[in-house]
Amino acid sequence: MRRRDFIRLAGGAVAWPLVAQAQEARKVFRILWVSTATEPDPFLDGFREGLRATGYVEGKNVIFETCCSPGNPQALREFISELRRGDADLVVSSGPATRAMTAVTEVPVLFALSGDPVALGVVKSLAQPGTNFTGATFLSLELAGKRVELLKDIYPKVRKLAVLSNTDHPGEPSEWRATMQACNGLGIDPVYIPFFGARELDSALRTAAGVVADAMLVFPDAVTMVHRASIAALALAHRLPSMFGWCEYCEAGGLLSYGANQRATYYWLASYADRILRGEDPATLPVMRPEKFELAINLKTARRLGVQLDTSSILFRANKVIA
Amino acid sequence: MSEVKPQSFLPAGGRETRPRRSLFCKYFATLFVAAVVPLLLGAVVEASFGYRDQRRQISEVLRVEARSAADRIEAFTDGLRDQLGWTVQFPWGQDDDGRHKMDAQRLLQQVPAIASVSLLDETGSERVFVSRLRLNRMSRGIDMSADPAVIGARANKVWYGPLEYQHDSEPYMRIAVAGNLPAAGFAVAEVNLKLIWDVIAAIRIGKTGYAIVVDDSGHLIAHPDISMVLRGRAGSADFGRIKHLLGSTSGGAVLTTFRGSPIVALSVQAADVGWTVIAMQPVTEAFASIRAALWRSAVLIVLGVLIALALAYWRAHRMSGPITQLEEGVERIGSGQFDHRIKLSSGDELEQLAVRFNEMASELTISQQKSARIDRLKQFLAPQVAELVEHSDGLLEGQRREIVAVFGDLRGFTAFSTRAGPDVIMAVLREYYEAVGAVTTRHEATLTKFAGDGFMLLVNAPVACQKPANQAVQLAIDLQAAVQSIAGRWCAAGHALGFGIGIAMGPATVGTVGYEGRLDYTAVGSVVNLASRLCSLAKDAQILADSIVAESVADSIPLVSLGEQRIKGYDGTLEIFAVAHRNSPAASTGAGPGEGKVATQDA
Repeated sequence: MRRRDFIRLAGGAVAWPLVAQAQEARKVFRILWVSTATEPDPFLDGFREGLRATGYVEGKNVIFETCCSPGNPQALREFISELRRGDADLVVSSGPATRAMTAVTEVPVLFALSGDPVALGVVKSLAQPGTNFTGATFLSLELAGKRVELLKDIYPKVRKLAVLSNTDHPGEPSEWRATMQACNGLGIDPVYIPFFGARELDSALRTAAGVVADAMLVFPDAVTMVHRASIAALALAHRLPSMFGWCEYCEAGGLLSYGANQRATYYWLASYADRILRGEDPATLPVMRPEKFELAINLKTARRLGVQLDTSSILFRANKVIA
Repeated sequence: MSEVKPQSFLPAGGRETRPRRSLFCKYFATLFVAAVVPLLLGAVVEASFGYRDQRRQISEVLRVEARSAADRIEAFTDGLRDQLGWTVQFPWGQDDDGRHKMDAQRLLQQVPAIASVSLLDETGSERVFVSRLRLNRMSRGIDMSADPAVIGARANKVWYGPLEYQHDSEPYMRIAVAGNLPAAGFAVAEVNLKLIWDVIAAIRIGKTGYAIVVDDSGHLIAHPDISMVLRGRAGSADFGRIKHLLGSTSGGAVLTTFRGSPIVALSVQAADVGWTVIAMQPVTEAFASIRAALWRSAVLIVLGVLIALALAYWRAHRMSGPITQLEEGVERIGSGQFDHRIKLSSGDELEQLAVRFNEMASELTISQQKSARIDRLKQFLAPQVAELVEHSDGLLEGQRREIVAVFGDLRGFTAFSTRAGPDVIMAVLREYYEAVGAVTTRHEATLTKFAGDGFMLLVNAPVACQKPANQAVQLAIDLQAAVQSIAGRWCAAGHALGFGIGIAMGPATVGTVGYEGRLDYTAVGSVVNLASRLCSLAKDAQILADSIVAESVADSIPLVSLGEQRIKGYDGTLEIFAVAHRNSPAASTGAGPGEGKVATQDA
């Protein structure tokens, strides 16, 4: 027997219990995806991608169950009230669905929230959640003013701004307040167009079309995300430079977006999912805040709107330019 | 040799009194220890040296990794400083705010870690504020001259602020840079330290080792697991403790326990910002190779022990087996089985020993035969004479020499034997011969034959003596005394028995006669006949001797001449002498022929 073989043999003997343990630990986890978005959900795809990168194989050691109720959080509530320990190893909720999850105490819940999770009451603090909830927050509140500022940077003529907001969204009032403050500072007159859930979106859009505004700002949330294409189309139809929260809107035809990369956040969320599945307590996992923000510009939309990008300083600041 | 009385050279029951620690055990233990102790010593020494080397190596690896991490962090902060430096190149003009704002926005674009930057003029009032999150501010003119950032930058060109946790979770710090020209003012940037994660996460020591960064007070700045950092001050306690431990050991690798699992850690200072980079590796991984080596050694030791066991057993068995065989053989030889031979073919000294034992056994056989012969000789020789005869070759061979023949027999035995019962006769004879034998032995005479109540003794043959005549006469006197003392008891019992002795001296042929298995030493010559005749003539208690004897002893023992007498078989007359001693009857010549039973040998 050669020395290397011998060492391998001895090493194998030493490592054997570890291998046995690893094989024993292999079980199939059930992850419940709770969302008010429709499928295909780009966020779910980001999360799945993250899990795959962490080493999970769907159908082999992880099973996804999606529970989507587009624009109807009430249906989610009913479903969640029946959720007991053992039904799922982990619940992942995106956006407003998290609000429906607050009653869940037995199952670990991962959330990705544009609002403030402390204000929502699902965690005690960002550093020490102290509950069965943890996840990521997108700093929508803090970015609200910044979006107005960026819109003014690219379109300095803006005087009247239509603000489309889904009131069925955690933290929405604060977001509106922050936006209002920014508008006041920049000499812009905001027109608040609230709507409640997906059902009221159409009427809100009609209202927005009726408002004689110079530009449009849309608060990012699951409902506007679902209908981003039609919102962007409406803005374009009314020759309104539009500002959104996430680059997905921009890709769908919006002029501008500024915010954290949602897909990246969901991708990263998978690592928390892995840790929780491995037995870590969500109470000790701090809530993540994004540190990178994307400014996306849709050049095509800009051209169609006749926005002079050359004279603004915005292009060199853009992280993503959609041609 | 069946008649030989068993003799034991060993104490009886030798098997029962075996030594407590057998040779097998001793050999086994010695060989085993001889093989195993060096093996163990070698393994222990190798392990300790291996451990030392490994520790030094781990220390080196950790130092290199920590240094590299520190360098990268310094590069990170240097990068920030340099980038900030670009924004404070030119003096502030009247309408420069727009250009400076562009610089600031470019800075944000280029350095993701900078969350916001304030550009201040030389008086320390804010002219431009650009942020990723908050609204930009222009020409606000907030006076920041008292801000420690401005004071620090004014003093040292560059100032690094303390670690601050935003929302008690996100690590931030401020960096201020002063322009080379005083008029260029200052740039104060807010840095999100989460971005150091890219630097720290890229460091992998081994498979599971990593590096962390803590500030002076032990608060965590960077950790490959970003959630550790996000725990804020609450999550820093463990790392603060490790930093404290490492700080007190002059930066060397130490073993310390972190959340129950031991780690090896080493700290290095990042000079600029005063942070400490700690490189750490779980002990299980750091010492994996030495552990593998220990396992290897253990396996080798077990193998070695097994081989040593087998070898020691085999060797000890090879040693003790022949020795047991030897012992058994010796015991059997000792117990008289001289034909037993020890069969050993070990080809070494033990086989030699077995050969020697076998030789000894055959020597013993010869010696035994010799001893048997001596026993036989003792039947007619005094024991010491017999020994002498046995060991002096040719003593028993036929030769002609001057001898003294002594004949003796009981008087009145024939009459007694016809009257008395056989048991009485045998008792009397036994007593008689015991007395005769004792005296004969004492005087080293040779009893050549006896028949009924008569016997024949030789003096000066086969063993020569100084004064044979004197010795013979003295022997006769002692015989007479011994027999007379028991004859008194016989008389008291009603058996009238007497004892007479005849002594003659002269040349005779002596030697052994007989056939294989039955040999007698005897003398042939007229002197024998004469002694026999004289015995026949002797009365009870009388000792008769011929003239030669009388002459020979005349100067020491007086003999009384009884005058000339005719003796059967001799022409003419011979002068006969009688030993005059206190028990002897009156010296007279009227002795009738005795009842000598000894067959005289006619020449």
